Amino acid sequence: MSSTLHVNGQKFDVEIRPHETLADVLRDKLGLIGVKVSCGEGECGSCTILVDGIPCTACLMLGRQGEGHELVTVEGIGGYENLHPIQQAFIDEQGFQCGFCTPGFIMTAKAFLDKNPNPTEEEVSIAMSGNICRCGAYPYIVKSVLKAAENIRNQQS
Amino acid sequence: MNIMNAQQVTKDRKVVGKSVPVLDAREKVTGSLKFGVDFAVLGMVHGKILRSTVPHGRVKRIDVRKAESLPGVLGVVTHEDAPDLNWMGVWDNYRGKVLDGIARFVGDEIAAVAATTVEIAEEALELIEVEYEPLPAVLDVEKALLADAPQVREEGNVRDEYVVLWGDLEQGVAEADHIVDIEMRYKSQNYAGIGRNACICEWDGDKVTMWTSTQTPSELQSGIHQAFGMPMSNVRVIALPSGCSFGLWWSNNFMMVTALLAKKIRKPVKIELTSQECMAAVKRRHIEITRGRMGVKNDGTLTLADFSHLMDNGAYGFKTDVYFFCVDLWGGALNGDYRVRGVNTNLVTSGCMRAVGDITMGLAVERLADMCAATVDMDPVEFRIKNQLKSGQQLRMQESRGHMKGALTEYIDALSDEQKQGWPEMFHLSSGSTHELLIRGAEKFRWRDRWKGWGVPASVNDSKYRGVGVGTGAHCCGVEFGGNTSSVVRVNLDGSVNVFSACGRQGQGSETTLAQVAAEEMGVSLDRVSIVTGDTDSVPFASGSSASTTMFRTGWATREACRDAKKQLLRVASQEFFNGIPDDQLEIDDGIVQVRNYANEHPRIPLEEMMNVLCSDSLSQTSVITGRPNGVMPPTIAFARQWAAQFAEVEVDIETGEIKIIDYLAGQDSGTVMNPNVLKNQVIGGAICGAGFVLYEGIEFDQNDGRILNDSLLDYKVLRSGDFPSDVEVFFVESEDPVGPFGARGAGESPAAAAGPAICQAVHNAIGVWVDVPMTPETVLKALKMKSE
Repeated sequence: MSSTLHVNGQKFDVEIRPHETLADVLRDKLGLIGVKVSCGEGECGSCTILVDGIPCTACLMLGRQGEGHELVTVEGIGGYENLHPIQQAFIDEQGFQCGFCTPGFIMTAKAFLDKNPNPTEEEVSIAMSGNICRCGAYPYIVKSVLKAAENIRNQQS
Repeated sequence: MNIMNAQQVTKDRKVVGKSVPVLDAREKVTGSLKFGVDFAVLGMVHGKILRSTVPHGRVKRIDVRKAESLPGVLGVVTHEDAPDLNWMGVWDNYRGKVLDGIARFVGDEIAAVAATTVEIAEEALELIEVEYEPLPAVLDVEKALLADAPQVREEGNVRDEYVVLWGDLEQGVAEADHIVDIEMRYKSQNYAGIGRNACICEWDGDKVTMWTSTQTPSELQSGIHQAFGMPMSNVRVIALPSGCSFGLWWSNNFMMVTALLAKKIRKPVKIELTSQECMAAVKRRHIEITRGRMGVKNDGTLTLADFSHLMDNGAYGFKTDVYFFCVDLWGGALNGDYRVRGVNTNLVTSGCMRAVGDITMGLAVERLADMCAATVDMDPVEFRIKNQLKSGQQLRMQESRGHMKGALTEYIDALSDEQKQGWPEMFHLSSGSTHELLIRGAEKFRWRDRWKGWGVPASVNDSKYRGVGVGTGAHCCGVEFGGNTSSVVRVNLDGSVNVFSACGRQGQGSETTLAQVAAEEMGVSLDRVSIVTGDTDSVPFASGSSASTTMFRTGWATREACRDAKKQLLRVASQEFFNGIPDDQLEIDDGIVQVRNYANEHPRIPLEEMMNVLCSDSLSQTSVITGRPNGVMPPTIAFARQWAAQFAEVEVDIETGEIKIIDYLAGQDSGTVMNPNVLKNQVIGGAICGAGFVLYEGIEFDQNDGRILNDSLLDYKVLRSGDFPSDVEVFFVESEDPVGPFGARGAGESPAAAAGPAICQAVHNAIGVWVDVPMTPETVLKALKMKSE
């Protein structure tokens, strides 16, 4: 049975088997490998995407649950040649080491900054605690998100 | 040329020491970087591994017929398909056959299935019938030592004792005013790597290609060569970046199983591990036990350091020792005796995890030294300054080290004086120590104001007790004898440079920092350097990114290769463009060949122009310039170490037992810092790894069969953003190394070793009691209860 997914502003008709996770569908059928899957049980946050603006772990959703929602992956906020200010800030502050968890952190940061454009350091640190960075880049992730907030505010003013 | 002088001439650096963004930063933030799990090749099918359900047993009967007849199944392999050959993993982290019909731990590889989909492969696993002849299992590291213990391996459980000795123990005892002893037991830490791994393997005729996330491409190539008895020239490994590895993804047996399966079905096969497989069936840190005593005089002089350490290798590890540089860190002790034994158990294989030995045994040595300092009521910073090894002093790891000492001195003695020219003094610490780190760190942290005495809290607010602590850590900068490395550099027609250096990409930024070394030495901008790190068809054999090797040894090789290429270039330039002005008076600056100090009075020839002329000149000898190291690198272990000193403030809630890290300062002496942003990040990552080890982390094994019970991130807790202060500060002491590239040394592991001692001491100072690790709330409350009784 064909399903329709709205991902990164585009419409896709895809065959989704009932047991397939949304993360697998996005990765395997739509080639969106920025949806990284590590723990597969919603604990590490690497596969975080936005579902109608809310950060969700795509490994815990079934593919068909994605129907009827606006889905955004890291590929949807910025690309190699047109980075989103959050992505740029992660580069400037080196908010990563190995890079596996990075798309998940960036999507968590996106949802957070959409709601709280002027956060304190502590608020950022707590907001980022749903994701795991085993390399331990946390302090630089926090700096990246603060810098991104500043850049976005400057852009808008 | 004297290496010392060479360091000094290059002070005016353009790329070295700059915080340039890592070369793959855009790929990382856009999610386009391909890790093992993201990789695919055309025609690829999927494999799954059947894992043992018993801790020890011989496969008596295995029937794969039902599995083979399941539609979609392309083939099954068992031990009957495997070559009767042993292969060895990096640093003896694995020794065994691909499959040999014996289960040595719950989760061991028994068979594997290839199918058109993962689901079919999984279904087929359930159709394989296995009957085991049970063998007695040993799940306890101390019991495994006993003569009548079940033997895990044909070589026996117990490896040779590894011994470091200096001075005379009896004298150390006699001279001491106090003898203090300790026993510490450490739980095994899980790598808990985010990112998992996958291996894709394809056979083409008698050649094999493997794509997987690994830190050690060359050694994996060598492992395949051993496991399948084929020439290395027919083995190609393409190492993909890994998620955070900490030593997990070197050469692992699941990669060999993938190769076996691909060989049988003659199709590319991908085995993608689940998170549970990564956490329970690959590798973990050793379970370790340290017992020791130290002697101290009333003036704070350590007269004795006497330690005996036991580590479990799990089923397939084969290590004699954990590699421990706490011996050198506390090398000021007048007499020393360190003994380590490795022993096999029927638990999942254990191996080198970040700061191996120094995070465990080093913690016991630091804690016992702290207990000595407390006994004579001396400030822990002062005590460290008094008793830790300083630059120029004799290293202890070189004292009668059973099996190594002879080999190392024989090797050194066999070289000519010319080959050893410019070497630092062997068996003496070449540069750096904790000394400057402690002095500067104490000042920055305001240690004198904040430290109130042993077991005295810095402040108390209701049930919340705060305390400060200092910890130090050391580790190696790569090793020898199996730790060799090289680099090749090629100058292209347009003057751009390719660097071929085997290293891993697990987030430590080596692809960038090695490129910085090359750009600096070649005199070209960073964007003119492209680095190949993982393809064994082009990189020379190199000890991979393990044991903090990469910057020190591979960086050295890369710089030497660049020097060689540059020398060739400048010789040609001297002859063809500069009317015989000697090549040693020429230089390359920002891609332009010119006369040093007199650039404006002579032609300035862009590399591109020079290479083009060369190529169009039929008289030129060659169209390509390649460089390789010409000299002999002195044996790292004989002179270089990395150093860390860290300061922490913690808050302990004596009602809940919860520990919070309030403030943190990390000092690092790794010589010249190639890229400050990269290193700061790595240092803090190390501190967080060490903090996790002493605060939360520990594998729980089933008492009956040894399986890992907390094999998921739901049950195995690691630190998160809110658990570590975001305003942590890092400072560097850059004691230039006489050998490392531009004075750089190793870096990634000593920070992990220093964190535990700093946090443990801070907790002790807050609540007046030493707490066992991991210092979970229950353990803290138990320690407080014991103290009050």
